[in-house]
Amino acid sequence: MLAFRSEEHVDRWREQNCLAKGALFVPEQLWRLAQAWYSNRLDPDWRRKTPDEIEALFAGIGLTGDFWRLRPAAA
Amino acid sequence: MTEELDRHVRLHLYDSFLAAGQPPTAAETAEALAIPPNEAEEAYRRLEQGRVIVLAPGTTNVWMANPLSAVPTRFRAVTVDGRSWWGNCVWDGLGILAMVGSDGTVDTSCPDCGAKIELRVEGGDLQPVNAVIHFAVPAARWWENIGFT
Repeated sequence: MLAFRSEEHVDRWREQNCLAKGALFVPEQLWRLAQAWYSNRLDPDWRRKTPDEIEALFAGIGLTGDFWRLRPAAA
Repeated sequence: MTEELDRHVRLHLYDSFLAAGQPPTAAETAEALAIPPNEAEEAYRRLEQGRVIVLAPGTTNVWMANPLSAVPTRFRAVTVDGRSWWGNCVWDGLGILAMVGSDGTVDTSCPDCGAKIELRVEGGDLQPVNAVIHFAVPAARWWENIGFT
């Protein structure tokens, strides 16, 4: 995950590196994601989040859609 | 029993990494916890299998104890009191500040033009910054190559 000056810079970098477009979001969402993901990492009873918990966490900060899904959508 | 050992090893690993700026070797962890070196190595491997840490290929040397990186990266987190560590990505850079509960900055640069980008956290809030975040790999595929997301 990288920080760029703008979407234009992302697109130029992607073209130079032959990479498909991923997900774009704003730094404020990243800070919320970082807090939700890591603020309890030093707790003695920390454990990895379950896929359900992770998808709920993503959705809670507006990261939705196939890109943020950990498992295939139910048929 | 194994679960309890792994918990002690994990907590020591993170405490030591934060204090020293580098992760402890399995031998150092073994000495600190008064356990045989092979038990510490096995705990490191179990923590990797559990996706808690990432080891350098073919070794028990810690490469990542997310959000911390044992090797220099494009993402440097610096707390207001001057402590600093490398993050594995920009998410992890901010994750370090969240993990240690401190204001500070994450210094990085635009991969396209090289311009410096400073993400500053003050009073627990991220300050406005002229930047966008790009995540290249869908969430379901992160662990196919955790060194590139």
